[in-house]
Amino acid sequence: MGNVVVWAVWVVAAFSCLASGIAVISFTNPFYSALALIGNLASLAVLYLLLSAEFVAAGQVLVYAGAVMVMFLFVTAYLGGHADAPWAGGPSWQQFGAVLAAGAILVEVIVVIGLKAGGRLSHEAKIDSNFGSPQQIGRLFLTDHLLAFEITSVVLLVAAVGAVILGAHSRRSGTTAGVIHEREVRARS
Amino acid sequence: MLGPDIAWYLAVSAFLFATGTLGVLLRRSPLIVLLSLEIMLNGANLALIAFARHQGDASGQIFALAVMAVAASEVVVGLGLIVAIARKRLDLDVDKLSFLRG
Amino acid sequence: MIIAAWICLLAPLAAALLITLLGTRISRRAAAYVSTTSVLSSFAAALVVFAKLWAESPDQRSHTSTAWEWLNAGTFHVGLRILVDPLSVMMMLIVSGVGFLIVAYSIGYMDGDDEERRYFGYMALFVFSMLALVQAGNLVILLVGWGLVGLSSYLLIGFWHERPAAIAAAKKAFVMNAIGDATMALAFFILIQHGQSLNFPDTFDVGPGHGWLVNLVALGLLGGAVAKSAQLPLQTWLPDAMEGPTPVSALIHAATMVTAGVYLIVRTHAIFEQAPRVQELAAGLGAATLLMAGLIALVQTDIKRVIAYSTMSQIGYMFLGAGLGAYGSAMFHLMTHAFFKALLFLAAGLVIHALAGEQDMRKMGGVGRAMPVTRITFLIGSLALVGIPPFAGFFSKDSIIASALGQGWYQDLLFAVALIGTLLTGIYAFRLYFLVFPGEPSPFVEEHLMHGSHAVGVEGAHGESHGHDTHEHRGEGPFSMTAPVLVLAVLAVIGGWIQFAPLWHPISDWLEPVARPLTEPTNTQEALASLFAVLLGLAGIGVAWVLYSARRWQVPRWALGQRLLEHKFYFDEAYDFAFYRPSVALADYLRRWFEEPVIQGSITEVAGGVRDLGFWTRRLQTGLVRTYALAIAASLVVLMVVFVAVR
Repeated sequence: MGNVVVWAVWVVAAFSCLASGIAVISFTNPFYSALALIGNLASLAVLYLLLSAEFVAAGQVLVYAGAVMVMFLFVTAYLGGHADAPWAGGPSWQQFGAVLAAGAILVEVIVVIGLKAGGRLSHEAKIDSNFGSPQQIGRLFLTDHLLAFEITSVVLLVAAVGAVILGAHSRRSGTTAGVIHEREVRARS
Repeated sequence: MLGPDIAWYLAVSAFLFATGTLGVLLRRSPLIVLLSLEIMLNGANLALIAFARHQGDASGQIFALAVMAVAASEVVVGLGLIVAIARKRLDLDVDKLSFLRG
Repeated sequence: MIIAAWICLLAPLAAALLITLLGTRISRRAAAYVSTTSVLSSFAAALVVFAKLWAESPDQRSHTSTAWEWLNAGTFHVGLRILVDPLSVMMMLIVSGVGFLIVAYSIGYMDGDDEERRYFGYMALFVFSMLALVQAGNLVILLVGWGLVGLSSYLLIGFWHERPAAIAAAKKAFVMNAIGDATMALAFFILIQHGQSLNFPDTFDVGPGHGWLVNLVALGLLGGAVAKSAQLPLQTWLPDAMEGPTPVSALIHAATMVTAGVYLIVRTHAIFEQAPRVQELAAGLGAATLLMAGLIALVQTDIKRVIAYSTMSQIGYMFLGAGLGAYGSAMFHLMTHAFFKALLFLAAGLVIHALAGEQDMRKMGGVGRAMPVTRITFLIGSLALVGIPPFAGFFSKDSIIASALGQGWYQDLLFAVALIGTLLTGIYAFRLYFLVFPGEPSPFVEEHLMHGSHAVGVEGAHGESHGHDTHEHRGEGPFSMTAPVLVLAVLAVIGGWIQFAPLWHPISDWLEPVARPLTEPTNTQEALASLFAVLLGLAGIGVAWVLYSARRWQVPRWALGQRLLEHKFYFDEAYDFAFYRPSVALADYLRRWFEEPVIQGSITEVAGGVRDLGFWTRRLQTGLVRTYALAIAASLVVLMVVFVAVR
């Protein structure tokens, strides 16, 4: 009985995952694409739960969907949704090559997994209830994977600094405000 | 384990990755490209989590968290770039932004 | 004694280096004195060596001294080695003695020339090179000296380098000498390969059964000798070499360098004696040359050219002597020839100098009226050349002619040729004398000599004014020029008295331990040869007198012969056709079809190819992010396959 439920949940989540993924790359309006991505993230969170990764699922929803996508939506709103046909533009062989490459990657991954892993994928390890819990994740972060933890924090810092620099207003020249500012400065001196 | 085998999860992950690749290679708006990139990263994350469950080793989840953090940073910087480009009144079209042409 | 020998060798080298290093810091006169003094010290040292050597008994007269072991390769050793033995001492004395006289003469002759220092440096270098050649203790050092004299000759022939004719002549001399150098080197290689040490006085016995090898070696040595001594077939460079200053012609192209070939044959006679055919060939070439040169000299109009052909002819006699095995006679003739030929050249130089560089005999006449001393010395030289007793040439030349008797039909033929040569010598030598010296002064001579004007410039077109005006009285040259000429005149008279073959022969005895002659003419043969030679010489003088002095008969006109002789038997034209034109054509061909398309073309091709590659690679840089991403995706696809397949 429990198995059937799990299967049902899995099917729904997997399907919405794939559908939202295709939706992201298909919409012309970036706003809709971003919303589709949020759906994708949510489905993924469900799949993580099924895989006993509770903390990661929570993090996914809170951080990814909650913070990153919100930022995305802010920027999309700021920039306006540009209409953009998915198949237009670029060198002629670009579309063909793209489909080919993507298809090839897909086929290869599945073949590789099928060939190499084969029968072994059926037997999962036994896990206890502690698996994937915040305690375990926290302990691992602070013991086995301390370096990764620290470096990740540095990466985040760097990204923040970078964002600040990129976002800083340029020297107010070239924009209308900048030109007016220049005139004022010159008039005063 | 209840429900499908790891293999099914891996199949989903592969599909997500391929979809993301397609989006990166096909779309011309940098925003959409970034979004597709996110899909690829999430596909990878799914594979990590699946294998973590399969091996009983939570390191996979640690890795997935690190990937998430890095993805977030990258999105931040990418969006900053896009905003800067927009401020310069340039077209948000990766085909037109070819100033590094040799 | 060994120290004296080294001093003899190195003094001129030191002088040359000194002059080179001091450059313009010393005056021109000082450079001249440095050079002259060094050669004088060489002569003094050579005298010391001679005295010491004479004091020893004949079988002990061979000393070597090695300064430094240069090459050590298994059993093959070559060192910086000098040899002191009768033959080398004789040459040392001749080279340094006559050299000193000529260099001293040059002080007056080259006075006022802008590049006097360079001249004296080169002369010192030459004397050193020649001494190295004759004092060499092994064939390698001999070859070094050989090459250096070739170099000095080139430098001195082309001394007045603004004159294209001089440059061309210098090149010609050098190239022809180089041919000889090459054959000599090949001969040495063969010797080395057969385990011979190249040292003197080791014998060069290659043993029986190696007949053709010895012939090759001897041929190679003969080739070098022929080139250096301007014999057939490599004789064309010598007349052109007269473009150099007259003292150079006297020293290098009369007394010393051109005699190096004879010295070589005598020194390596052991090899030649094992290759009798080649030795006969040497004699034959000598005879042919002496005949040919004598004929050509009959039609020359340039004073120096006549004397040059005369040199060629006389060296032919020496080759004849060496080829017949009469080594002592050949060396004796070398010595007397050095005296009277240098005398002739220097006296001619006096005339040329006085006539402001004019060398054409047809413009001269009656020079003797203004320059009596020169006239006498020239007459002495000519008589010595023709071989009239009691002058020097008589004693030496006739021994050679006599050695040809009684050995076979070939040698008899050579005998006849040598006698004809004497007749020719008489004719051309006295043609020269009668045209230039006696009688009424020609208008040209009047203008230049009789009015006591000072000479303006030496021969050639380098336009320097001389500034010495000692032509005032009687037109003779300055003392520094006439003194050496007088000394040489004395030597030309008494030089032959040192050996009168049938009766007393100190020279042959002196050289006996080193080069035992193959034939010794009997007294009757000597007498016969001398008789004929003197008679024919006098006949030649008579003919010349009749034709050119008394003008009783006209010179016979034979157009074909005249043309043949004037073109020097068309040797120059033949060589031009056979060697020069094909080489030029080959060079041109190579340039058009190989150098430009292939070598230069390959460079431009490579450059073009690289540039094209760059253009192609540039097309990858589209600037479009999507193409780059596609490239990454494609490589990812490939890599995945590789990783799985390779495992």
